[in-house]
Amino acid sequence: MTRMLRSSAVSLALGYIVLGLVSLVLFAAPLWYAWQGTIRDGRNEILQADAQRLTDIYRRDGSEALKNFIDARIRMQIAGDRILLLTDSARQPLAGNLPAWPNVPTTPGDYYVQVDMGARGPQTALVHVALLGSYNLLVGRDNRLFAPLEKRFWYGLTGAVAVLSIAGLLIGLITRRALMTRVDSLRQTISAIIHGDLTHRLPTHLSDDELNTLSRTINGMLEQIELLVHGVRNVSNSIAHDLRTPLAELRSRLEELSLIRPPAEETFAEIDGAVADVDRVIKIFDALLRLAEIDAGMRRSGFIAVDAADLAATAVEFYEPAAELKDITLTFQSDGSTPVSGDPVLLAQALSNLIDNALKFAPARGTIGVAVHKRSDGAVQISVADNGPGIQDQEKDKVFERFYRGDASRGTPGVGLGLSLVQAVAKLHGSALELSNLHPGLQVVLTLPGASLPHPGLS
Amino acid sequence: MKILLVEDNERVSQFVVKGLQEAGHTTDHAANGRDGMFLAASEPYDVIVMDRMLPGDIDGLAIIEVLRKAGKHTPILILSALSEVDDRIRGLRSGGDDYLTKPFAFGELLARVDALHRRAHGVNHDIPLTVGNLHMDPMTRKVIRGDRQIVLQPREFKLLEYLMRHADQVVTRTMLLENVWDYHFDPQTNVVDVHISKLRQKIDAEFERPLLRTVRNAGYMVTAAD
Repeated sequence: MTRMLRSSAVSLALGYIVLGLVSLVLFAAPLWYAWQGTIRDGRNEILQADAQRLTDIYRRDGSEALKNFIDARIRMQIAGDRILLLTDSARQPLAGNLPAWPNVPTTPGDYYVQVDMGARGPQTALVHVALLGSYNLLVGRDNRLFAPLEKRFWYGLTGAVAVLSIAGLLIGLITRRALMTRVDSLRQTISAIIHGDLTHRLPTHLSDDELNTLSRTINGMLEQIELLVHGVRNVSNSIAHDLRTPLAELRSRLEELSLIRPPAEETFAEIDGAVADVDRVIKIFDALLRLAEIDAGMRRSGFIAVDAADLAATAVEFYEPAAELKDITLTFQSDGSTPVSGDPVLLAQALSNLIDNALKFAPARGTIGVAVHKRSDGAVQISVADNGPGIQDQEKDKVFERFYRGDASRGTPGVGLGLSLVQAVAKLHGSALELSNLHPGLQVVLTLPGASLPHPGLS
Repeated sequence: MKILLVEDNERVSQFVVKGLQEAGHTTDHAANGRDGMFLAASEPYDVIVMDRMLPGDIDGLAIIEVLRKAGKHTPILILSALSEVDDRIRGLRSGGDDYLTKPFAFGELLARVDALHRRAHGVNHDIPLTVGNLHMDPMTRKVIRGDRQIVLQPREFKLLEYLMRHADQVVTRTMLLENVWDYHFDPQTNVVDVHISKLRQKIDAEFERPLLRTVRNAGYMVTAAD
């Protein structure tokens, strides 16, 4: 029972029942009051008319005629439910169907009084008292006539209360059952997920009710979690592979050094080699941490308005001497100030990775074009194009994978995280990253949502 | 100069203290936050090297904040195993002057300590700089070596200016990336070296004595010494 009461559906139903009862009472009470008033007024009128008739008889024909009239009425049973009593000034009954003057004053007016009607027992009655000369006249009707009506009112009210309570409870229980069934199925799915099977999804229907909306949101969350877990698994596999190799080299280098103990000059060279190995491991580690940081989306809070053209110009200028060295022509085009909302450090790194990549693949005396354009819809396109070998269509998705290195990149420096980082940065900025083959060459286009630059001097 | 190292890792401390002493600096070492706070507050140091995460209830950032509130402006280099950019910003905001991520090369640490010390002794951005027979006037942006005027691109000027402001000190590639290009990440290839060799072409090529030298395993130095 307590479990039932704790159910939100049941307590909601109980709440509604109480609310229903309160409104029922609020509705019935004034009605009852008004009804009682109307009845009393009507009865008073009838009694006054009765008394008036008897008074008329007394005035016209005298007290004896009135007495006879009353006696005749009672005898002929015309009086019916009526109470009639005529007494002298000492309240001694002269005619009527009451044995004695009841507990009411003899001043004219309307009273409720308990009367003893003999065979019919004590009754509550409304009586009207009038003075006829030195006689007291009492005219009344007992309440029995109206009792059935009142009873029906109370029956009706009780019935309404009963129907309301039972229907409310039933609806509560049914809702609870329906809810429990659905919640149970959600619970089962979720516990399956807790136990490690991330492929499960919550059942959803076409409807847009609350549970369904929630289920859909949770499914979206699961999608993201599965993706992240998949990513983490991929990364840990890649780490296992890509960190193991330099670590293994380092280990054998040191072990050999300790075993062979070569002359000092050679030892120093080996130590330098070992330090370089460690630096390589640290580099991979840093790149992975940076990727993880971006993927977690934590840096979005640091977004500010930055000029994409400015960032690109700096990156181009940064790589210019390196391009010259390879006899590559590095060009830059922009439409002037192109503000975007983003993280300047990450955007600069992404740009630098793209240009660095292009420098690796462009042939000697080749060209690399960097361009920043503002589209008519406000979005900003940053493109980096080279005239190198480009990439095969089947390779397009793979190049974003961590530690992936295409055939063309063998023998070039790098650990295969450059484009992964560019993609992660693009994702963080809610932007699209497209690769297209220029035959020959590769063009990478990063489309960022535009922003308005803060007014200079305000920043 | 007199340096305080606050660092709990024994090996790292030994390595750093030994290195700093070999470079000719007097070095005190505190292994926890309490000692570090006490020494930093009571002794006059030229530079403090502070590990960010320390055992016990006082961490590096807390010490820095207390020192700064007490009006101590000793330059502080924060060491940290946290490499995320936001951590770096938080570290610098708490009052640190520079930030170095573990693991680091000792050369990097030494170069940054030297740079901090020099910076603390006031940099007048308008005073002409001179190394040997190389002169630079930051106001007129003129560079002259011997009797010849050298024409530099704006970024080359900035690069040379940074090197000359730290003359006779080792300047690492990371320091150049951060201060000349404002790049707080590691570009995959050694583009800095290419910039240096281009700059060297302009200032050293036609002179007998090279001023811009490469320091093995560390970085670069502009010096007129032998």
